[in-house]
Amino acid sequence: MKPNRGWTPYLFVLPAFAVFAISILLPVIATFGLSFTRWDGSGPLKFKGFANYIRAFHDSVYVSSYWHVLVYVVATIILEVLAGLLLAGAVSARPGTTFYRVAFFVPVMLPLVVIAVLWSFVLNPDFGLLNAGLDAVGLSSWKRVWLGDPNTALLAISVISGWIFAGFYMAIFYAGFARIPKDIIESARLDGAGEWTIFRRMKVPLVRGITEIAILLCVTGGVQVFDLVFVLTNGGPYNTTEVPTTYLVKTVFRDQEVGYGAALAVILTVVIALIGLLYSRLRRKTADVEF
Amino acid sequence: MRLSRLASVVAAVGAATLLLAGCSSSSGGGGEASASPSDQVLRIAMTEPGADLEKVWQQVKTEYEAAHPGWTVQYNFQNDDIYSTVGLPSLLSGGNAPDIYFEWSGNRLQTRYADGYAASIGDQLKAKGVNDRYVDGAFGGTSVDGKTVMFPIGKDVSNVIWYNTDLFTKLGLTAPTTWAELDAVNAKLKAAGVTPYAMGNKDLWPAGNWNGHVLSRIVGEQAYADALNMKSPLDSPEWVAAMDQMKKIHDSSWINDSVNSVSDNEGYTLFFTGKAAMTPIGSWLVDVRNEQAPKFNMDWFNLPAIDGGKGNQQSVLGVSTGLVVNAKSAKIDQAVDYLDILSGDDIQKAFVAAGSSSLSKAGAATGLNPLSERLLTLIETAPEIVAPPDTGYNLKVADALNTATSAVLGGAMSSQDALTQAQQKIDALK
Amino acid sequence: MTTFDSTHVSSPDVHQAGRKKGLKPSDLLFHVVMTVYAMLFFLPLLWMAMSSFKTNGEIFQTPFALPTSWDWSVFATAWADGGIGRYAINSFIVTAVSTIAILGFGSMAAFAFSRMRFRGSGLLLTLFTLGLLLPIQSYFIAQNSLFEYLHLKDTRWALIIPYTAMGLPLAIWLLKAYLDSLPKELFEAARIDGAGDLRIYWSVVLPLVRSGMATVAIFSALAAWNEFLLALLYIQNDELKTIPVGLLAFSTKYITDYHLLFAALTIVTIPMIVIYVLFHRRIAQGLTEGSLK
Repeated sequence: MKPNRGWTPYLFVLPAFAVFAISILLPVIATFGLSFTRWDGSGPLKFKGFANYIRAFHDSVYVSSYWHVLVYVVATIILEVLAGLLLAGAVSARPGTTFYRVAFFVPVMLPLVVIAVLWSFVLNPDFGLLNAGLDAVGLSSWKRVWLGDPNTALLAISVISGWIFAGFYMAIFYAGFARIPKDIIESARLDGAGEWTIFRRMKVPLVRGITEIAILLCVTGGVQVFDLVFVLTNGGPYNTTEVPTTYLVKTVFRDQEVGYGAALAVILTVVIALIGLLYSRLRRKTADVEF
Repeated sequence: MRLSRLASVVAAVGAATLLLAGCSSSSGGGGEASASPSDQVLRIAMTEPGADLEKVWQQVKTEYEAAHPGWTVQYNFQNDDIYSTVGLPSLLSGGNAPDIYFEWSGNRLQTRYADGYAASIGDQLKAKGVNDRYVDGAFGGTSVDGKTVMFPIGKDVSNVIWYNTDLFTKLGLTAPTTWAELDAVNAKLKAAGVTPYAMGNKDLWPAGNWNGHVLSRIVGEQAYADALNMKSPLDSPEWVAAMDQMKKIHDSSWINDSVNSVSDNEGYTLFFTGKAAMTPIGSWLVDVRNEQAPKFNMDWFNLPAIDGGKGNQQSVLGVSTGLVVNAKSAKIDQAVDYLDILSGDDIQKAFVAAGSSSLSKAGAATGLNPLSERLLTLIETAPEIVAPPDTGYNLKVADALNTATSAVLGGAMSSQDALTQAQQKIDALK
Repeated sequence: MTTFDSTHVSSPDVHQAGRKKGLKPSDLLFHVVMTVYAMLFFLPLLWMAMSSFKTNGEIFQTPFALPTSWDWSVFATAWADGGIGRYAINSFIVTAVSTIAILGFGSMAAFAFSRMRFRGSGLLLTLFTLGLLLPIQSYFIAQNSLFEYLHLKDTRWALIIPYTAMGLPLAIWLLKAYLDSLPKELFEAARIDGAGDLRIYWSVVLPLVRSGMATVAIFSALAAWNEFLLALLYIQNDELKTIPVGLLAFSTKYITDYHLLFAALTIVTIPMIVIYVLFHRRIAQGLTEGSLK
């Protein structure tokens, strides 16, 4: 369609672009620029070349934060995506499961901070629900200081993450299953295939495209995890749950090292972009079965 | 996507922004820009004082507003961990920067001064006679470069060991004066089925302060300061041996298992509810007790003398706290007026009545809570005052040491490994 | 990327045979397992709500017991004295303004991108698409400095502007996809009737993309309501804090007043759950569609 006047399209795009440019585009570029400087946020800028980047690769806490986030991402692929897939399989195999679908999805609605505060109580070593529950069923020896023990803290955060997001991935897979033509499934049933076989041999392969997107979402979202970690441990104990984002915030806001923080942010952005790029490469190679 | 085109645009805009950023910083970098607005509001930021003391602060506000028609005082109370890390820096650089803010003496105050956020107010305070109203030495620790840049509120003893007097009496224990006696007390408590120490070290400073004191007693104040000022390594055999005191506490299970997962406040609750017999923490525990567990009986002793330690065995871990007037504020005169009112005899007496301490003559004469009174004497007569890692020194260095302390206290690392790791982090800062 | 057609994500493929025969043992087992699993979701929430009525001692000593008295005043205390009410109002304002801005600006831009040809449209659209991929960490540091410089920090704008910007790429993407799928005759007919661009936008585009707008609204509103990082960094004034940051402040202020804390948690979670249960189909669909792009 040809616009009335040559400039009207720009008028339509302008408000959106203005907000987007001021709030995101310009800061993205400026963050990149700042990453080559030393700046405390108010004084003069000092150009430092790649010094911040070199420092980042020698910063043991920063480097280890990527290992932590890797563990978290692997755990959440299992606890969120795989659990979501299994749940979706379960709730779509039988009638009368609306209640479960609604229940499993509830945590997705709530602010992560609220959930984190709630779970910090559940895991509280002195009056928490979990340790009290273990006592009640005679498993007192299993009691732990869940968030204060380097062996369990990261895992506990991953499990909470699974508690929240398994329902989300369930909803995605459920919607995917719902779009599989019914006659395919029905004819398999008539051939005597059990629900598990139908799930494994038919449903799962048929939602492959969705699975791939779900994993990408889980990975790129997982690398950026902040709210949960900030509230539950803020990187502790002894930096064993430090993730790139929590360290970034400490560097910029506690230590006032804006330039260095910007370099850490750029590295994180590049990592996320690389994951996305790598992923789309891999996906192109696999056959495209899309619905 | 037309990536190549996009890339060239991004590069061009990037170069332009860099230039812009450079220009703006050379023209003050938001220096003047972040001055507080010139309305008739006096903004004051500080850590959460607790309900009782908050009433007194409101009283200061009322008096100020009565004396300055048209002006209002606006408080911003924040949780102290958020305030000292994210909160205050954000406020100072924000659009509604405070005209007066709470700060700790030492490295923090020096940094504020160097960044141009601390006004020299000594002459103005003297002119109003504020100094005359205060006890000798009240203004100690409030100057940088010979200029008074802080109005003193208190001298916090950052670490003594508090104990549950009822429990001590019941078990026939008395406050120890030497480290060996303290070890004996710990052993007896443990034998009686009581955890000796409670602490909430999630934010690292509680055990960091405590161990900072222990370390300075063992390696000596100068060696302690040198290491934290990055002049000498802190992973020497001497430091490792000193750090082993924390390891011993962990190995003997003398502290709550949850030490590294609960906040300082939760640690106090454990102590007040009798889950542990002692808690090594600062003078503010009196305020917390008055607020949370007024019937709880407790007392304190300074860190006992450590045999063979190189430091002064009567040293006190402490820090001056106070209010700083923002040098970038357009309302410095009004801010000083506020401090004048704050230093008034009635207000200071009210602070004492609400359970706080006071450095003013009138306040001190009112008869402080005996616990606070003795703490004040302790710091005023201390032969040596040691600064806590996180207020006295570079925050990243303090964080490295405090992380090491928490790792050893939690049993996650040996003293050697923890200190080696801390030293690596410090080396990376140079 | 996959796009969901919102019209037929409805009935799951159900086991037809199961209906006729009544409950089989395997069905029973299935429901038992699922119910136990669902308890994992409700137990913490139930415990939270119950603990609001208990004293600190009861919370410590008898975590599973029912409260001994039902003192509803704790909710009023949390709401008024604790400031939860104020945080809720702030969240509401920030969420409402940014969502409306996203819908308005987003639909205008989507209309231009979908139905008009103009120089630079490809580049502009690419930039917005880039916005779908950029993580918040890639810009918040400089954004913070910029907002400081512009004196936006500690105002509601410091949240409304970035929340709007963060929602726009998705809104434009989704709404453009909706508009692209519409027959062009619709627009040409309006043009022949003499309608100008603004008129077409108002009386043709807006009514047609209503369903897409609902998806965008749900996604954007939830994102704004729950956002934490920027709210933590940009808002220090207690009068302006939103629920996530406000609740955190609340939880440190009343750290030892556990039942008050649980009451605050209950206040902020229960209404969300009620809203969700009422509109669960639409909300779940909006969220999943929004995330899948």
